[in-house]
Amino acid sequence: MTVSTPPASVRLNRLERIWKESPGVLGWLTTVDHKRIGILYFFTSLFFFGAGGVEALAIRTQLIGPNQSTLDPATFNEMMSSHGTTMIFFFVVPMSLGAFGNYLLPLMIGARDMAFPRLNALSYWIYLCAGVFLYVGVFSGNAPSAGWFDYVPLASKAYSPGPGIDFYALSLLFVSVSTTAGAINAIVTIFKLRAPGMSLNRMPLFCFAFLAVSFALIFALPALSTALILLELERLLGFHFFIPAAGGDPILWQNLFWIFGHPEVYIIILPAFGIATSIIPTFVRRRMVAWPLVALAEILVAFLGFGVWAHHMFAVGLASATTIYFAAASLIIVIPSGIQLFSWITTIVTGTPRFKTPLLWIVGFIVLFIMGGLSGVMFAAIPFDQQTTDTYFVVAHFHYVIFGAAVFPLLGGMYYWFPKVTGRMYDERWGKVSFWLTFIGTNITFFPMHILGLDGMPRRNYTYGPEMGWTGLNLIETLGAYLLTLGLLSVFANLAISIFKGERAGNDPFGGDTLEWSTTSPPPEYNYAVIPKVSSPYAMWDTEDREEDARNLELGRKTLEGGHETPASTAVDAEWDEVLEMPSHSGWPPLVALAMTGVFAMIILEQWFAAAIFVVVLALTVAGFHLKEPEEA
Amino acid sequence: MSPLNPHSPAAHHIATLWWWMLVVAGIVFLGAVAMLVVGWVRRDRPGLPFLGENEKLNTGLVVLFGMAIPIVILVALFIVSDLVLLNETDAPQASSTAMTVTVIGHQWFWEVRYEGKGAETANEIHIPVRTPVNLVVHSADVIHSFWVPELNRKIDTIPGQANSIELYAEQAGVYRGQCAEFCGLQHAHMAFRVYAEPMPKFEAWLANIRKPAREPTTPLARQGQRAFMRDGCAACHTIAGTEAKGTVGPNLTHVASRETLAADTIPNTPEELFRWVQNPQSIKPGAKMPGLGLGPEKFHAIVAYLTGLK
Amino acid sequence: MKERRAEPSGWWGAVLLIATEATLFACLIATYFYLRFKTGEWPLGGIEKPSVTLPLVFTGMLVATCVPMFLSVRAAKGGAIRAAWWLLFLAAAVQATYLGLQVHLMIGDLHSFRPSANAYGSIYYTLITVHHAHVAVGLAIDAWLLWKLSRGITNYRMTALRVAAFYWYFVSAAAIAVVLTQLYPSL
Ligand code: HEA
Ligand code: HEA
Ligand code: HEC
Ligand code: CUA
Ligand SMILES: [Cu+2]
Repeated sequence: MTVSTPPASVRLNRLERIWKESPGVLGWLTTVDHKRIGILYFFTSLFFFGAGGVEALAIRTQLIGPNQSTLDPATFNEMMSSHGTTMIFFFVVPMSLGAFGNYLLPLMIGARDMAFPRLNALSYWIYLCAGVFLYVGVFSGNAPSAGWFDYVPLASKAYSPGPGIDFYALSLLFVSVSTTAGAINAIVTIFKLRAPGMSLNRMPLFCFAFLAVSFALIFALPALSTALILLELERLLGFHFFIPAAGGDPILWQNLFWIFGHPEVYIIILPAFGIATSIIPTFVRRRMVAWPLVALAEILVAFLGFGVWAHHMFAVGLASATTIYFAAASLIIVIPSGIQLFSWITTIVTGTPRFKTPLLWIVGFIVLFIMGGLSGVMFAAIPFDQQTTDTYFVVAHFHYVIFGAAVFPLLGGMYYWFPKVTGRMYDERWGKVSFWLTFIGTNITFFPMHILGLDGMPRRNYTYGPEMGWTGLNLIETLGAYLLTLGLLSVFANLAISIFKGERAGNDPFGGDTLEWSTTSPPPEYNYAVIPKVSSPYAMWDTEDREEDARNLELGRKTLEGGHETPASTAVDAEWDEVLEMPSHSGWPPLVALAMTGVFAMIILEQWFAAAIFVVVLALTVAGFHLKEPEEA
Repeated sequence: MSPLNPHSPAAHHIATLWWWMLVVAGIVFLGAVAMLVVGWVRRDRPGLPFLGENEKLNTGLVVLFGMAIPIVILVALFIVSDLVLLNETDAPQASSTAMTVTVIGHQWFWEVRYEGKGAETANEIHIPVRTPVNLVVHSADVIHSFWVPELNRKIDTIPGQANSIELYAEQAGVYRGQCAEFCGLQHAHMAFRVYAEPMPKFEAWLANIRKPAREPTTPLARQGQRAFMRDGCAACHTIAGTEAKGTVGPNLTHVASRETLAADTIPNTPEELFRWVQNPQSIKPGAKMPGLGLGPEKFHAIVAYLTGLK
Repeated sequence: MKERRAEPSGWWGAVLLIATEATLFACLIATYFYLRFKTGEWPLGGIEKPSVTLPLVFTGMLVATCVPMFLSVRAAKGGAIRAAWWLLFLAAAVQATYLGLQVHLMIGDLHSFRPSANAYGSIYYTLITVHHAHVAVGLAIDAWLLWKLSRGITNYRMTALRVAAFYWYFVSAAAIAVVLTQLYPSL
């Protein structure tokens, strides 16, 4: 913010002093600043992306030709299971909710932090510990190997005696705590901390997407937790839930898993939709077409996602009436996706598109999403699904929707908000090159999988015979995966180099549409010196409002520099309610996370007494966490 | 092994369904991409004349393309595939089939039984051509999935549950099938073959399979039989008419009549059989059969015995 | 105490946490009935049907503590802190007794059948133990609040008290659902 008057600079200095973060490692360990936590999330989930990517490349290298022995069957199964588990639970969700959500949500709604800053830090540390926990298993030769959905009885003690499955189940339970806390935090932030004036109908679509995702998580994760708890009781304590001989049923696991699992896939895709609706208006210089329909559709997708789970189970021999219901529900869910899709497309066509790197990724995303979505619809034709389920056709479908449609916007978003986060511009030419490499690589890798699936190649095969005729396409896919890796590396190289070499970006290099572009790049600790005025979802384009903010700063109005403060407003209309005193740095979150790690570690070692001791330690750290009474409540 | 190379009415229906879906999906895809191409062509220029300004019209376009047209397509797809075609791939009525075959999935081979006919084999299913067969599947351990893409949809084999589908082949021939549900280390090597044969040929085959095993005729084979019974093989394998009554591994009563070994992993030649019995783990790492280390002599004898079990 | 136009963040957070916990109970109860309808006999394996009276009486006891919780919040809002403290104490005492009695009952059950006996035993004990764990957490919250309230009231503690009351309403509702499921074979 450019400052012309002395009173304004006095106020800025005061804000600066109050919100100052501690320097050094300790500062990062105890930070509760949503931007710093977002950055921590970013690098941690990027690391897991790298791990999942290496596993993917190992899989692809093993499948490069028939009867290869790069990986033995046991290692292949571990790579395949760790790949899916890592990518879904430790990369996409933390990257979108943890990194993008954390960094951007408060900025977009004009707040100075999340509603529960220390809980936010706690979410991060738990996530980190859970990820390390899983990878301790992987590196100690105890990777899970029953696939990412871990069907019983294969995952039962009788058929998977080693601790790999326990690492899987406990690390997922562990990370669910983090995700649940993060989701609650996001919802309360959106409901409570919107800048006064930002009633729900003036909230950016990005925030609607994250609101929908967070609600979906709150109701989806308990089903996963239930499944995992039952599994661990069965594996560690000899309970019976899944073995028919003792009155159990293996299909129970499938139901519980997919009651979570299908909402999860929309949890993965919705943040991407949110990012798309941020990038498109900026680069086509136009408001979104059918804004209310899109907001509604985002929420509807998350809601309807709870009613379709059994479409993953069409081959288990359910009653026809059941499968028909779930097929119908799977078809209905196409409608909200279609609305959003054509809103993006119509907005692009009727606007003034500038195909800068971020928009390119979004256009790539749209193309890949249509591809992946259309193959998804085909599965709702039950007989066709019964032919293609568990083949590479499914692998093709979900990599188009997950890698193409969910990860592309994340990559586009990295370019888009890079200047905001670092204050520097990325290299435009390399940005475009990296897009085309990745886009082409993606299609070369995943398109042939459709054909392989229709040619009968089942998924999760560690090898295949030369007589099956699957060699050529597999070779192409593997080469495509290498190309795709090159593309991704060029993305990260571009960004890494630009941190140091990029041109200065200024506050608003793209003419962005949402509030975050009004503050400096990178934003100061307190985000906004003046609580911004908002009168539409495209706050940055309401120039009078921004001028008013500048005047307010000079006059010292709405600057809240009396303390570590942010305003809270009413949930729907966002009328000014109160000023909240926000907590600042705290050492408790990492300690709580460590204590929790102790509990899980002792459970996997089956040291019940030590586990009980760690539960007590955990309770003490939680009490410590609550020693200080913040105003946040 | 392709669903698009159908040899039964059910598989035909599914293949046709696929081609129709492909055409419609292709049109939808190209239509949407064409709109994006318009955007690309008009890049950096202000919005489309007329359309660009009119929000009502734009919203109308979204509703038309995003709701109205999809609803028509989806309703059609639902009726055709989930109400009409579904009946074709459903579990068969007991009365509509000529015979029942039970298949039991094991890690990692298929046990095959002809109900009421006292015939048992493994990894090979013989059926009469142009005759509907009721196929009932179970599992002995984890979940597998029975899949012969050219003949029908797949069906999971689930412990504690019996599922069934109809098996019907329009033409005589050999159809490959494979386990489709991930079931552990050797999920990739859990294939089998379906032989659709003219009725007389099928009946001859069945008559042979029902018989107990042939007695060994050469001294070497007799030696092999003794080794088989005494040195551990019999603990896991059944050879009808002998004292071998194990149930862990495949039934070997007529193993020599099969074309492949170890769930369609290797051809059934004496050399390959030798390689298998001597060291199954080098061929199918993780398979539930150990290499017993009896030494080449005994193994040669065992192979001589087994190759006589036509 | 300040007048509010909107609910405080802590209240929102608690509502959401309770929503997700309620879903967890829903999943467990669904599991119970899923397993039940997969088999003919229930309880499985000749286990005796649960006896009805005591669990219902105890549950009634727990549900009754909603009244002092509610009154405690009212009192605190009206500034009667001592009354609020004693009401909370009363509720906590009854809740603690409830937990003690329930654990005693459960130990009795363990003498007649084990969780590892079969699916019935497993889901029976899992369901009620998860509920008992929620009661135990509630008692920890009570203890913490009693300590805090003994040193006066703040906005933060007021919200905490409301949240605690809300939590107990939820635990009571869950107790009814759980006990009806638990006793279902005998009803
Ligand atoms: C980001 C994640 C994501 C998304 C968005 C989707 C979207 C959809 N998915 Fe997918 N799916 C997965 C991730 C995802 N899926 C994963 C991970 C699996 C496999 C899990 C595993 O087994 O490991 C899976 C598996 C899967 C199956 C089970 C397959 C099987 O194992 O047998 C089914 C079955 O119905 C299905 C259906 C759908 C449908 C109908 C949609 C719809 O939401 C798609 C809607 C979108 C469009 C249709 C395109 C745009 C719209 C138009 C162009 C309008 C016009 C369209 C028409 C007229 C049709 N998916
Ligand atoms: C978010 C989800 C996600 C993502 C992004 C991917 C990405 C990729 N996937 Fe994955 N995949 C799944 C989710 C995902 N996958 C799931 C759920 C399964 C099912 C598992 C199961 O069956 O149980 C699966 C299964 C699966 C299979 C089938 C295995 C089988 O059935 O046998 C294959 C095979 O080719 C494959 C390939 C790939 C490839 C080549 C990529 C590539 O796109 C990966 C490219 C990425 C990189 C190469 C990393 C880039 C490098 C960096 C980011 C490093 C920079 C940072 C640092 C150094 C710190 N995947
Ligand atoms: C511990 C149990 C066990 C023992 C002992 C054992 N087998 Fe096996 N055998 C199996 C199993 C299980 C398979 C199926 C392996 C597969 O395909 O994954 C099998 C497969 C075979 C096959 C291939 C059958 C087919 O139709 O594909 C032959 C032949 C065979 N065994 C012979 C022998 C001989 C000879 C011995 C003794 C030297 C022996 N087995 C000992 C368990 C055993
Ligand atoms: Cu059996 Cu896969
Ligand atoms: Cu799904």
